Amino acid sequence: MRQLLPSLMGGVWGWVFFFLSSCTTKPTAIPTAFSETADSLVVFPDYRDVTIPPNIAPLNFMVTDAGASEFVASIEEARQSQGSPCLVVGALADGKFDIDSIAWRRILSDAKGQDLTISIYAHRPAGWVRYAPFTLSVAEEEIDPYLSYRLIEPGYELYRQLGLYQRNLTNFQEAVIYENNRSFDADNNHCVNCHNYQAYDTERMLFHVRASHGGTVIVNGSEAHKVAIRHDSILSSGVYPSWHPTQPLVAFSTNKTGQVFHMYHPEKIEVLDEASDLLLYDAEANSVRHILRTDDALETFPCWAPDGQTLYYCSATLPESLYDAAASEIALKYDSLLYNIYAMSYDSITRSFGEPQLVVDAAGMGKSTSVPRVSPDGRYLLFTLGDYGQFHIWHKSADLWLMDLSRVPYMGQPSPIYGTSVSHVWDTPTQPAPLTDANSPAADSYHGWSSNGRWIAFATRRIDGNYSRVFISYFDREGRDHKAFLLPQRDPEHNTLLLKSYNVPELTKAPIRVSNEKLRHVVLHTEAAPATYIP
Amino acid sequence: MKGLSLTQKQKTLTAVSVFFLLTWLWASWWMGDVFRMAREYSFYATEDTLMHGLWQQSFGLLWVIGRALLTLYRWPVVGGLLVALLLTASIELTSYCLRLRPASPLRALAYVPAVAWMSWIAWRGLNLYYQQEPGIALGTLFLGIVVLALDAFIIWTFKKPHPQPLSNGRGESMPQQSPFSFYLSLFILSLFTFVPPALITHLRHPYLRPVTKMEVQMLNEDWKGMVETAHDNAKLSYRPIAAYYAIALVQTGQLAENLFDIRLDYDSLYVKGWSGDADVGTTYYLADCNFHAGLFRAATHTAMEQLTMNGPSLHDLKLLTRLALLDHDWALARKYLTIIDRTPFEGDFVERYGAMVGDSAAVAADPVFARVRLTEPVADSFESFYQSPIFLGYTAVLTAGRSMQALQQSLMANLYSKRMPDFLMRCEALVGTTPPRTIAEGLVTQTIKNPAILQAFPQLQMNVQVFRGFVQNVQPYMKDRARGGIELFDQYRGYYPYYYFFGNLKATRKKEDKEHGGSNAGVN
Repeated sequence: MRQLLPSLMGGVWGWVFFFLSSCTTKPTAIPTAFSETADSLVVFPDYRDVTIPPNIAPLNFMVTDAGASEFVASIEEARQSQGSPCLVVGALADGKFDIDSIAWRRILSDAKGQDLTISIYAHRPAGWVRYAPFTLSVAEEEIDPYLSYRLIEPGYELYRQLGLYQRNLTNFQEAVIYENNRSFDADNNHCVNCHNYQAYDTERMLFHVRASHGGTVIVNGSEAHKVAIRHDSILSSGVYPSWHPTQPLVAFSTNKTGQVFHMYHPEKIEVLDEASDLLLYDAEANSVRHILRTDDALETFPCWAPDGQTLYYCSATLPESLYDAAASEIALKYDSLLYNIYAMSYDSITRSFGEPQLVVDAAGMGKSTSVPRVSPDGRYLLFTLGDYGQFHIWHKSADLWLMDLSRVPYMGQPSPIYGTSVSHVWDTPTQPAPLTDANSPAADSYHGWSSNGRWIAFATRRIDGNYSRVFISYFDREGRDHKAFLLPQRDPEHNTLLLKSYNVPELTKAPIRVSNEKLRHVVLHTEAAPATYIP
Repeated sequence: MKGLSLTQKQKTLTAVSVFFLLTWLWASWWMGDVFRMAREYSFYATEDTLMHGLWQQSFGLLWVIGRALLTLYRWPVVGGLLVALLLTASIELTSYCLRLRPASPLRALAYVPAVAWMSWIAWRGLNLYYQQEPGIALGTLFLGIVVLALDAFIIWTFKKPHPQPLSNGRGESMPQQSPFSFYLSLFILSLFTFVPPALITHLRHPYLRPVTKMEVQMLNEDWKGMVETAHDNAKLSYRPIAAYYAIALVQTGQLAENLFDIRLDYDSLYVKGWSGDADVGTTYYLADCNFHAGLFRAATHTAMEQLTMNGPSLHDLKLLTRLALLDHDWALARKYLTIIDRTPFEGDFVERYGAMVGDSAAVAADPVFARVRLTEPVADSFESFYQSPIFLGYTAVLTAGRSMQALQQSLMANLYSKRMPDFLMRCEALVGTTPPRTIAEGLVTQTIKNPAILQAFPQLQMNVQVFRGFVQNVQPYMKDRARGGIELFDQYRGYYPYYYFFGNLKATRKKEDKEHGGSNAGVN
């Protein structure tokens, strides 16, 4: 109804739109006569030659051909002899193909592990033409059906309407996990961020609430409560989280973060930490303690390995001259802060951590890492590598990189190297490498694995350089990434029209169980229970 | 007089016609630019993706309708016609619902809702759209008409016998009104219709029409028109007028000649921010000023924050389009143009700027872009290092620029902020040249403290004589500078020493606070 009403009730323009839309019909059959065209196909999103999960929603797309009045797409299995069409979809002059979801599901089911060939026909004044066909490869492995993200205007300081949402990837349904105020309300203005799930499940999750009604909302199944992870000994509250895969524990970074805005630079924004440490929060006991508390290092982005026996994180060395420096002094050094990835072993019985080990020496390359994420089988470490800093979603240099952990000789053999010179991994055969097929010239950053390790969902600004969108890349059994495809939408123009960014895409196997109403009650009408600090 | 006698039907029709014409005049001429800018700070499209945030709000449907109607204000005459028709319809419907007979003196009550709505619009001033929902204005009018129409329909349906229609001519049986009293009542009606809202605007928001007129002129790139509008309202002292005046001077290259031709003391705007608290309105013009000061990153920052807080608006989307083009971010510019194209009557903008996408030569050839490029920073730094507003704070402390215009803007920012040491330091670059008039006058104000200025600029001797005469003349006012500021304006309008001593006294106080070890001096 909400989609219809603007057209019907939005004045004369709505009526005009309505009548124009209803007075034409889409073609339903492949033209019998056509000529081949060598023109390159202008298609958005660019779904050409991508690998897709067999359970993904229809990849609706739009074709631009200024002279064409209508279009036809045929989608057929490449293995079929003579290419008898499986699915024919028509489009009007706007070139938007709205694929029937039932037929799409059937064709994907039949084509698992196979290729689909898509041919586009355009009806130009001189007659029908056919573009050179392209291919969609359908993988055997499904993707986790739910994707959570935050929608918010890109960057900057202020916020008004934003929310956490969960998209069903097998169709176009988007459910609200939590939304803040719909209209401005000074007393209740708040931001939500950093949603995180335990082991791809929705039984345990959390997100933060900032400003009014601040705290961290901890979800247990269909219940939720709010806690305050703050203490005089902690720099700020808990920030970037990572649930332990099995225990009711969350590793947090705690960051004193600032944001500065360039006056004349290819980048627009820098997000910097003046100080940061690591925390371990016990969700059952509502207690918190430090994992690392240092003056000379900026630790952030903790991430548990899937076996729960190793904690990865990023850390940069802060020059001594900047220990107690003002934020503006640190800002001036923004491009000299280089983050490496370290790992610490974890004993789940004693809840103690081993000594940090250097895993990725990005500083040695003159680069900087962020967001380490370990594949579900524990073999691969996926992270973002950029020129400097850690908030890579605003850095054009940011790309996704991968390291094969199975070939790092010292993993699982802790050695006391943190803060001292180390023998790093670049000389070994396990050098990290970029995901060349998935990456783009624009910022490619926040990323996560699917629970089967075959799919990587990540945020990227590749479409327009400003608004981050979710792309999904197939990661095959040989450890190779494939060209990424844009999260499909019912209206392929949705991503052009949407003036919000997708933040922090997280895949889960199940929908969230707690209701939006419950979360609103917890956020707006309950006090955050202060966590006990354990020195 | 007999020839002037009219039937009651004709009188009623005449009165309604006069009301219609007056409201059309009010809505298209008096308030036309105001509604036009309300349209610019609004956004309407049929796509749910773009209107989602608005739909979610309480009364979202009403605001959507209000915005849709506002799109007609692309041409104020057309938008005004719609408003006049709705207001006139409200008279007929109110008369019908209240059963007000045409010849009855109570008939005047039928005009009350319309005049009340017009007065309410006038009372809101900039808050008609600034940090408020722009769809409220016409949305409420539409709602009022719908309520009255429903009321009338219910009465018509259920009341037996039906109330007499308004203009059935039966009023002729009522006591005859003399032609004189009829025309007198028409005159009173005219006053009653037009005067209250006009008076409210004039007394409470005297800046409203000049500011919106200048903004419409800016949309049309009528920079000379903006200057003329500011000069016509030179005694009005409000920040938005000063801001748009400065923009026009930048675009016409007159900044160093004419900046102080208008009063710069800044009375209250009587506007409220989103929180409902009083607001000085800086964010109203901040993005535009940042853009025209060549601070494209800061302009993007401001426009994005406005877009975040207010939702999409044509004003912000158009500015972001220009900024994306200047950045050669073609894909981003195309995105914004696609969105703007979804709102009615924006084909001209989309066509003009769409042609620049992917064509850096076309961007470079645009005269407005070329002008603002001249003052683009030459080195990176961060916004937070400068005092706000950034277009003044950054420009005042500029140490390197890419053009003489950048230097002049920096000098003028310092003159405006009365930061004379910074001003003098930057004037060293002008030694050996003939400084523009205002800069020369600024130098002269410092010759008493710093006679060496005359050695560097010997051509200023004549200016010194004039300045001494000025100082003598204004001595009686030095103890009450606020009074002097008003009484001396006509005599010394545009003369920098007048501004230095009597203008923008808030900046003077900040400067004096600094000199006496008080709070940090800042640009104001």
